[in-house]
Amino acid sequence: MERILVLGAGTGGLVAANLLASHGYPVTLIEKRETHLFQPGMLWIAFQGHNPSRYTRPVKELVRPGVELVHGEVAGIDLGDRLVRLADGRTFTYTTLIIALGAHLDYDATPGHRELVERYGDFYSGASAAEKMWSHLRELTSGRLVIAAADPLYKCPPAPHKAAFLAAYTLKRMGRLGSVEVHLALPFLHEYPSEVVARIVAPKLEDDGVRVSTLFTVESIDVREGKIYSLEGEELDFSLAAVIPAHRGPMIRVEPGEVLDEDGFIKVDKYRLNVEGYDDAYAIGDSSNAPTSKTGVTAHLGAEVVVDRIMGYDSRFNGRTNCPIVADGTASFVISSYGHPPVPVKFTRFKRMLEDLFIASYWSSLKYPERWAPIFRAYFNATDPRVISGGW
Amino acid sequence: MSERITVDARGMACPGPITKLVRAYRKASPGALIEVLATDPGFKPDVEAWAKRTGNEIVELAEENGVIRAVIRVTGKK
Repeated sequence: MERILVLGAGTGGLVAANLLASHGYPVTLIEKRETHLFQPGMLWIAFQGHNPSRYTRPVKELVRPGVELVHGEVAGIDLGDRLVRLADGRTFTYTTLIIALGAHLDYDATPGHRELVERYGDFYSGASAAEKMWSHLRELTSGRLVIAAADPLYKCPPAPHKAAFLAAYTLKRMGRLGSVEVHLALPFLHEYPSEVVARIVAPKLEDDGVRVSTLFTVESIDVREGKIYSLEGEELDFSLAAVIPAHRGPMIRVEPGEVLDEDGFIKVDKYRLNVEGYDDAYAIGDSSNAPTSKTGVTAHLGAEVVVDRIMGYDSRFNGRTNCPIVADGTASFVISSYGHPPVPVKFTRFKRMLEDLFIASYWSSLKYPERWAPIFRAYFNATDPRVISGGW
Repeated sequence: MSERITVDARGMACPGPITKLVRAYRKASPGALIEVLATDPGFKPDVEAWAKRTGNEIVELAEENGVIRAVIRVTGKK
């Protein structure tokens, strides 16, 4: 009997499961958490004091009738036997598998990191960590806020920039920007991995009062002394700091092990998104090694491609990104696809309105992806990097 | 013989090769050699800028049949 198994109720898993259910497929969705978190919301909680309830919903409210929701933690996958094992010993078989388990945040890769997150929170580790960050930011009257990363590979490439912009704006409103320095320490050669984007972001950071260090990859953190040391041999003092943890693939046992890359991400065909060597298993979103940014947008678009393929269409994923860089009242997007590097996208108020619309549509777009598909398709076609290669 | 690490970043677009280099650098001991193979044309200026900024020595930087080969000696680590 046909049974499509979806692992993980993040953006990709929910879009895939709900779309499949809308087409009448029997779907089982396995998720360990009771609550879904809109991950970019952590930035707004941590640096603007938003209420976490705006960005969290019970998973069971986000699945449509027709999706069987199983509460449990995936421990292992056997691709040869088409078997998924949960931590509590339950097993599930499938005819088609969609792996959407996200990335694992590796705090142990960086000495002092766990202590830092316990003390100050951050904007990657969950809604309560973000609330903790906010409680410290609102009390910060002088010194330096450092936003940094432990590795150049992390989800949402402009997240540290957004953090710095939003924090600077909050401090400015409090009349403290100046007595508090916002310092963005990036593990890249320029202010953004893509030089084209860096040329747009750098002047904006300067205008908004954000100091920047490049080629600063966090090596270790001394919480008591308030110092962050970089792999490149530099150090930064901080009064408050948030460091993006190193990322790796989901912490599960996968047979055969060859389908995992050296960081534990699942190797896929970057266009078809099937697990290397398997036609009946797919990996989408952060858990795959597809050479594009790890973001909700790529997870959403990947889920649509996989559902199309299950339905018999020869859809291909094009690696499209649409990572918003939100600043004070304006926004830009990092727009690229396979074979097309990011294009120059200016900060405008109109793009900020678009981003606010995307955020407002989030819960509905997870549950009813087919209603939003024509709207998103029009947007993505109009802003295809080949169409706007000269800039937008 | 000093430790030698090879990083194959062929086929990866910017900033993939530099990301892989940074990760290899994290694991490398002082004096080790890191060899990076890349096809992204942006890698050449990037690796030169990286080495200059981080105080590491480029022992070899050559391009052959579209493949850039950079060999770096880890001199920037104490």
